[in-house]
Amino acid sequence: MADFKLFINGEYVDSASGETFTTTDPATDQPIGEVAKADREDAARAISAARTAFDDGPWPHLPGSERAAKLNKLAELLEANAERFAEAESRDSGGTIKKATFADVPGAASALRWFARMAIEQPDRIELEGSPFPPSKNYVRYEPHGVCAGIVPFNFPLLMACWKLAPALAAGNTSVLKPASYTSVTALMLGELAQEADIPPGVLNIIAGPGGTAGEELASNPMVDKVAFTGSTEVGRRIMQLASGTIKPVTLELGGKSANIVLDDADLDIAAACVLFGTFFHNGQVCESGTRALVHKSIYDDFVSLLVDRAGKIAIGNQLDFDTDLGPMVSRAQAETVERYVALGREEVGEPICGGSAPDALADDLVTANFYRPTIFTGVDNSARIAQEEIFGPVLCVIPFETDDEAVAIANDSIYGLGGGVQSANVERAEAIADRLQTGTVWINDYHMITPERPFGGYKQSGIGRELGTAGYDIYRQAKHVHTNPSTGRDGYMHFAALSANI
Amino acid sequence: MRVSASARAAEVVAAMGERRTGTLTVTIGTGCCESTAPFLYEDFWPGPDQEAVGEVSGVTIYAPEYLRRLYPGDQGPRLEVVDELAESLSVETELGVRLALRGTGLDSTDEPQACEVPAAPRRSAPTRSAHPVAERTVVGRPPPELEGLRFR
Repeated sequence: MADFKLFINGEYVDSASGETFTTTDPATDQPIGEVAKADREDAARAISAARTAFDDGPWPHLPGSERAAKLNKLAELLEANAERFAEAESRDSGGTIKKATFADVPGAASALRWFARMAIEQPDRIELEGSPFPPSKNYVRYEPHGVCAGIVPFNFPLLMACWKLAPALAAGNTSVLKPASYTSVTALMLGELAQEADIPPGVLNIIAGPGGTAGEELASNPMVDKVAFTGSTEVGRRIMQLASGTIKPVTLELGGKSANIVLDDADLDIAAACVLFGTFFHNGQVCESGTRALVHKSIYDDFVSLLVDRAGKIAIGNQLDFDTDLGPMVSRAQAETVERYVALGREEVGEPICGGSAPDALADDLVTANFYRPTIFTGVDNSARIAQEEIFGPVLCVIPFETDDEAVAIANDSIYGLGGGVQSANVERAEAIADRLQTGTVWINDYHMITPERPFGGYKQSGIGRELGTAGYDIYRQAKHVHTNPSTGRDGYMHFAALSANI
Repeated sequence: MRVSASARAAEVVAAMGERRTGTLTVTIGTGCCESTAPFLYEDFWPGPDQEAVGEVSGVTIYAPEYLRRLYPGDQGPRLEVVDELAESLSVETELGVRLALRGTGLDSTDEPQACEVPAAPRRSAPTRSAHPVAERTVVGRPPPELEGLRFR
């Protein structure tokens, strides 16, 4: 019996096979509960429900203000249940209760409210002035795509779920959402809030299960009109291929190896905090983490000392304790991946100046092998594998530079371009650098500040399209141009002569 | 770059060959949640910059130029199997396992002790139980700095 069931057509249901998988607390490896395991058949069932809700249901035809009211209600319910969702998110993902309480839950509610606002404020019909073919009249109508599939990763399960479902639903689409198998609990819990918010059956469907079956079905099923994915670059490529079968538009938010540039005029106290926050927040399991700190040579030694001193003060432990700064990695496998990269770093670069292992000891019930200490490698050449490959763990590469041009060149020497930072007392200088960075977001004297009001996405192999902002709303709509010729006589149809004056 | 495979990885790939009718391909991909990782796909187009870097159970392993450059010569990790869930679209996930890259052909040295990371305060000491959901609860209060933080 599943503790967490699939949410299809407005109801919680078991998987067709009756199979479940166990979701665990990565801090203890103890089970949290059984999750219904969707396979291809369940995915098809969810897609079919979304298809029917779109084709035959009221949702796409509701005024934007009515869809907005439902999304605002969902946000209100989420906030009313904030502690329950935060606790579940923290336990299921290993992220700290601080992160869940102050980033995941409010961020998810904020995304719902932002896209509700978009549904109200963004017109779905724009009259166009000055027709090039007078006396014709023209307007553009914005319409939903239809069924939108959203596939989200393990690092911000609830937040990413709302980044996908909120714009889709606000624009009048219906949605099938698949959270990551490691962290499917809070996304599935959203179903109960959708029921309470009176979102019509089939408009929002949530399934959990292996990507190799359920995910593949979402990306390839002809009844799906659009796919949005956040996760691995290689999976993004796979989704593009699967979606190409029926020319589905895709939105991809993929990997990163972002550079955080610390200039010689930076406030070192703040800059060090920005680098540590930018790297180690959520154990570095953040796509746009600034895992390459490019530090000017004139301040290099002092800055590295600051980093090491403060990294040593980051508290690792029970993620459900508000005093904990870093909980476990999402899984043992992820911790092992980090270990592998640290071994690579030792071979290529030398010993890290701090970290480099799991913590020695934690509270009795915590599985130390699932945790990893903040790890800093210094004197790293940007060609090193640890500086080129995304580790998705708490590993910082500190890379020296001498000129602004060199910093820009190093920062851009990556297949990715998702995030980045510039730390400087001279904002004009920092902006000049930011303008040259091939990346979707740059934080000056800050890091990780993402908000639903601003676009987010990647250059190069970090993705396609932008989520959030008004751009993140428009990708869930398509434009239809309507041309009306009001002429009553042949004079208004001279252009037919391009074929023949005799028609 | 040469990518080898453990016996278990070969078994998993062979098992998927039995379950899938299309042509299987392993591609070593990069980025985000799984770092650099192997992906077993059915009827996959590897892309113009991919070359074969190994074989497992008759299935070719491809890697992009970008990665081949980082692992020159015979260097390369080994295909292994972890008994964990994963979110990729890699087809072996339907077996409840995930292919992973392990080993580097390189030795790691002793663990450094340059900076000590303190454990969080042990204000609660929950014990193992059959119902950990009920046992493990939130501890403490939010830090005051965050109390005033509100998303719009």
